[in-house]
Amino acid sequence: MLINEEMKMAEVIHLNHHLLHVINRFGIQLGYGEKTVKQLCAEHELPLPFFLEIVNTFHDPSYFPVDAMLRFDAALLIRYLQQTHAYYLEFRIPEIEQYITRLTTDESWDEAVKRLIRDFFHQYVFELTQHIKREEDRVYPYVLALAHYLETGQGEKELVESLMHYSIQEYENEHDDVESKLFDLKNIIIKYIPRPKDSRILNLILHELFELEDDLHNHSHIENMILVPIVERMEKEFFALTRNGRHD
Amino acid sequence: MIEAVKILLIEPSYIIKEGLRSALGRFGLSFRIDEVDEVKENLVLTLEKFTPRIVFANHRALETKWAGNRSAAVFDEVLLVGMYNEKVPLFEMARYDEVLCIEENKQQIISSLQNILKKAGLLSNESETENLSEREREVLRFVALGLTNNEIAERLFISTFTVMTHRKNITRKLGIKTVSGLTVYAILNKIIESGEVNAF
Repeated sequence: MLINEEMKMAEVIHLNHHLLHVINRFGIQLGYGEKTVKQLCAEHELPLPFFLEIVNTFHDPSYFPVDAMLRFDAALLIRYLQQTHAYYLEFRIPEIEQYITRLTTDESWDEAVKRLIRDFFHQYVFELTQHIKREEDRVYPYVLALAHYLETGQGEKELVESLMHYSIQEYENEHDDVESKLFDLKNIIIKYIPRPKDSRILNLILHELFELEDDLHNHSHIENMILVPIVERMEKEFFALTRNGRHD
Repeated sequence: MIEAVKILLIEPSYIIKEGLRSALGRFGLSFRIDEVDEVKENLVLTLEKFTPRIVFANHRALETKWAGNRSAAVFDEVLLVGMYNEKVPLFEMARYDEVLCIEENKQQIISSLQNILKKAGLLSNESETENLSEREREVLRFVALGLTNNEIAERLFISTFTVMTHRKNITRKLGIKTVSGLTVYAILNKIIESGEVNAF
């Protein structure tokens, strides 16, 4: 069942509580009362179609965004994606880190095994952080410059330069490496840890890793299904404009 | 995350679509499932649009135009599964790679799906041992120590291509894809000593 504007926000959460984080990222916090999706979006000055597309893309993996999303405001989308990144780096990862610390201070565990897991996790966090940084330093400014140019006709030279450095299609492929590492970490814990006396702390870590993986998966799904088509649309317009010599 | 396998459902019935999704969900694989209600016009165009690895098609939703001609290149990459019920004469199903009878019970459906996924190379045959062979352990040892494919090939007097085949099999058997993940595995299983590798 898809989320629609007439639903009460409380019903939305009962339908799929994983959406809590997504809704938070729009600045909408708990305490919804009887308010509908439409009312809360209006209160927070959020374009309703934009909210619905993001939430439904996240909610139903088979949902295919409507064509109207090609006209979405790139800046708005990027603000949302940045909020998501902040959530990973400032909330989710530190939470897992706490469990890892609990594991490493537990005397009943073999020192070498603890160190391997901790180091592997840190390596993963490092790569995830690098990846996020690259998106924020290179991809997003490029997208914003592109949007700005199409709106105002200014900043062309700068834009073409960053275009040469990066194309949005490359960016689609980049997610894979970071994802593989998380996949490996899960399998090492599930299959190859020497049998511990008590695996409860590892259960918690695994549970968090599965949740993180799902969330990241949905995040890149949104990037691929919404951001990438928008940028491709803008690039096409950009090349058409510059070829015709308008805005010179 | 293993790359999601693309599946296309050509089926008007909501109940059957959802049922198939849920049955496929039992295999613990990552699927990206697209849906269309029917393909009356051009199956080739539909396949080119969705580029699925497996197609589950209701026989009736294809029937009229597509008579089984599979000459188009796009068919080479696709496993075509025809879904039918008891009313369809079986000879009509010969045009498909595999068939799935939607009236079967749970056990039969799961076992048919299992065969289909095996045929598509997504599930391995149980008979195949999942333990690493002696050669694979050797290759794994060098990978964990940070050697490149070329270096490993030289040391073991085999081709680079063979090294790559071994690496694919190691990854498939262990469920570990990255070099640092393989290194952790190698240390935990005493294939190498943690002192031997400094990069990690």
